[in-house]
Amino acid sequence: MPLFWKWTIAVLLVILLATFLLLCKMAGGPKDVYGMVRYALPHMHSGKLKVGDDAPDVRLVALDGSDHFHIRERTGGRPLVLIFGSYT
Amino acid sequence: MVQIYNDYKEHADFLTVYVREAHPTDEWQMKSNVKDDVCYAQPKNLVQRVAIANDFITRFKYPIAFGIDDINNAAEAAYSAWPERLYVIDESGHIAYRGGMGPFHYDPQEVRAWLAARYGEVKHDAPTAAPAPTTSPTT
Repeated sequence: MPLFWKWTIAVLLVILLATFLLLCKMAGGPKDVYGMVRYALPHMHSGKLKVGDDAPDVRLVALDGSDHFHIRERTGGRPLVLIFGSYT
Repeated sequence: MVQIYNDYKEHADFLTVYVREAHPTDEWQMKSNVKDDVCYAQPKNLVQRVAIANDFITRFKYPIAFGIDDINNAAEAAYSAWPERLYVIDESGHIAYRGGMGPFHYDPQEVRAWLAARYGEVKHDAPTAAPAPTTSPTT
């Protein structure tokens, strides 16, 4: 094998290893890297909303599970801080 | 966020939107979820999602107004909100602040700065009644 290709493969392996180690550090461990790549990254989107855009109106479900309300029902009088998140 | 809510609830409204679980047992579960006894499978229907939301509210006596994203994840999609994200909507219905994608760019202090720029610095004593949850949406 020509020396050029040996070096190319070696550099690629080093890059792959460094990427894996970085992901391990970010996610918590090798198992978490799989979880992040399989379940998190496909759902993480920066989105196109920007400051100044109309805030999208979305219908939400109340805690009783049956009533509904719209985000826009909560806007108008004062600024509205929206906190998106989950339990886990 | 609860502290920021307590500091600025006289000036702004707050609404928590509960979206799809970030670390359910059947996807990417974290060790910290087990340690904190926060172990749920990803809800497959609205009833399951509502049940988890109510568990959260009950456990942490969460004081902020709460809405649940429907099982079609419409709110998550509209705001690119998964796994966690912050926005401020101004009085005219426009986006006034758009936080970065969580968890790496989820920064409640940016919301505090936005509110402080408008209403001045407000800092009340931290509440002591309820333990602070370690997971969003109250981080």
